[in-house]
Amino acid sequence: MEFLCIGLSHRTAPLVVRERLALPDARQVELLQRLAQAPNEAFLVSTCNRVELYLAAPDMNRVRESARDELRLLGGSEALEHLYEHRGDDALVHLFRVAASLDSMVLGEAQILGQVKDAFERGQGAGAVRGELTRVCAAAFGCAKRVRTETAIGRAATSMASAAVALASKVFDGLGDKTVLLVGAGEMAELAARHLKQAGATRLLVTNRTLARAEALAAEVGATARPFEELFTLLTAADVVVCSTASPVPLFTKENVGAVGRARKRRTLLMVDLAVPRDIAPEVGELDWVHAYDVDDIQKFVADNAAARAEEAQKAGVLVAQEVARFVRDRAVRNGVPVLAQLRQRGESIARAEVERTLSSIGDGLTDKQRKSIEAMARAIVNKLLHEPTARLRAVGPEHEGNRLVGAAAELFGLDEEAPAPAGMAGPNVVANGGKG
Amino acid sequence: MNHALVSLACHAYVVAALVYLVYLVRQMDALATVGRVLVGTGLALHGVALFGLFGAQGGRPVGVAQGFSTFAFLLLAIFLVVDVRYRKPVIGAFITPLAVAVLLPGLLLDRGQPLSPDVQRPLLPLHVTIALLGMAASALAAGVAGMYLLMERQVKGKRFGLLFSRLPSLEFLDTLNRRLVVVGFIALSVTLVTGAFFSSAAPGFFWTWHSKQIATLVAWGVFAALVGARSFGGWRGRRVALLTMTGFGLLLVSFLSSYDFIHVGGGWR
Repeated sequence: MEFLCIGLSHRTAPLVVRERLALPDARQVELLQRLAQAPNEAFLVSTCNRVELYLAAPDMNRVRESARDELRLLGGSEALEHLYEHRGDDALVHLFRVAASLDSMVLGEAQILGQVKDAFERGQGAGAVRGELTRVCAAAFGCAKRVRTETAIGRAATSMASAAVALASKVFDGLGDKTVLLVGAGEMAELAARHLKQAGATRLLVTNRTLARAEALAAEVGATARPFEELFTLLTAADVVVCSTASPVPLFTKENVGAVGRARKRRTLLMVDLAVPRDIAPEVGELDWVHAYDVDDIQKFVADNAAARAEEAQKAGVLVAQEVARFVRDRAVRNGVPVLAQLRQRGESIARAEVERTLSSIGDGLTDKQRKSIEAMARAIVNKLLHEPTARLRAVGPEHEGNRLVGAAAELFGLDEEAPAPAGMAGPNVVANGGKG
Repeated sequence: MNHALVSLACHAYVVAALVYLVYLVRQMDALATVGRVLVGTGLALHGVALFGLFGAQGGRPVGVAQGFSTFAFLLLAIFLVVDVRYRKPVIGAFITPLAVAVLLPGLLLDRGQPLSPDVQRPLLPLHVTIALLGMAASALAAGVAGMYLLMERQVKGKRFGLLFSRLPSLEFLDTLNRRLVVVGFIALSVTLVTGAFFSSAAPGFFWTWHSKQIATLVAWGVFAALVGARSFGGWRGRRVALLTMTGFGLLLVSFLSSYDFIHVGGGWR
């Protein structure tokens, strides 16, 4: 299985290109199912800052071509200019870095891990993620957790939402007497609401196309839910607007925002757009009483903080390198597992068969204790015989050398190298580390 | 003696200005405290010097040098009040260098001014002091307006550099501007009324078309319009900042022209 990451992010592509590649869930599933026909595997990380396909396939060249075709269909040939590719272990390193939030716009922000986990689960749900990528993701999530606990990178992390609060503090002298309007009731809105509350905001309004979701969020963070139809009435009352809807077209244009200018006496309005595609048309900022920021502006804003956390990022980078190395080593060992398992299975079945034959030929003349001693002896002989080959096969570091030794072992013991391992033997770590962490 | 005190005060102001400029770059609370203490010390020395000087002159500054000196003193005094009240030391980085710039020509020119014949007028010290107070408040308002325009450029232009991170919020600057303009406007109104009283009390004309009078009246009109537009028209931000700076510019013309007359021999009108 070869491994490939292909995609674009805030580092390589402007918001307009990223917007075009933002896909609704259903279309993501279709895309994954097209790309991940067995034995190929795939999952798609799609956030406002990155769209990345992670692929595992025995014949990567063909899959790579189809992945590029898919991305070109979505984003136009312009999108191809912004694509980057990481192959083999580089792709692993990249995924580990992304999950650990070392490649994030806001270095160390915690959301990305959840987003990668969602992407992984969506891939599983679509049947596009199986053994190989499951193991890779489990290791990446474990690594992210380690980075979070062992470095200070997350502690000082400003998420996009808190960056919005910092912007508000440069426009307004405190949020205590301000009305904050959240348009959209997703995870981003919730984060923003919590940060704004923490910064002293008391009047929070939430509106959403589905009122029930607005009400749920309002109840959770102590806000007031309002129907979406009142959007522009609410805009008149608001001082800060934070948008995070999935609307494919901008909700706010220069015309419809400008229209409430008179009603609000051109009182200063801060609009923060955390959505991709954008909820606020870029021209809205031309109104002199409106200060509008989109996701790319926020990236510029947080660049400073990123520099301050460079040292922690370096530590985290070392951790990521360690974890990737460990994963690669484990994979080499794992590749030896089927042969080992078969070897052990064969030894155990021979022992069991011989014990049964011996016991039945002796007949009923033995006590339970004696019977157990004979069984133990047979097992011990097998274990002792297999101990050295097992240890040596497990100890092999580099994959290629390992494969040679594994091949030799299979040859010597007359085992089928490709046969599936018995249940419970393949990658026991995956079960322990996998899933939500 | 007085000159030595003012010179000492000026040194304190210069160091304070440097400290505030460093504070702009490296935001350390200790620097803000040092700046505050230096300005306070300078004001104390300066105040003693001015008090001594005015005592011998019928309670008011005489001549352009003392005018500048008093202006700088009042400007820094108002700044200190604002700094203690709002704890935004970064304003110091903009105001203290300005005050030093105002004070320096005063020091250089400070070579014994002849007493004007108007010394005896009982209300004149009040008129001059309030006029200078209004000037100082408007100067600070104009400085704050300048900071507003600077900050607005960062905010609108999405320039998240040093200035963006250090300057106070737009709303704060706008509110402070409003308060200072109100103080300036009241002081200016009192100045006009007392000034008219002198003009009419003196033999001659109530209104003499002196550039001082014209500039002051236009400046008063600008400030009146500002206060009105803010209260009733909901004006704020950029427009108000620009108007404040215009108003202060007019006051500056009025201030300078009032001294012109002394040298030309026209006396205080």
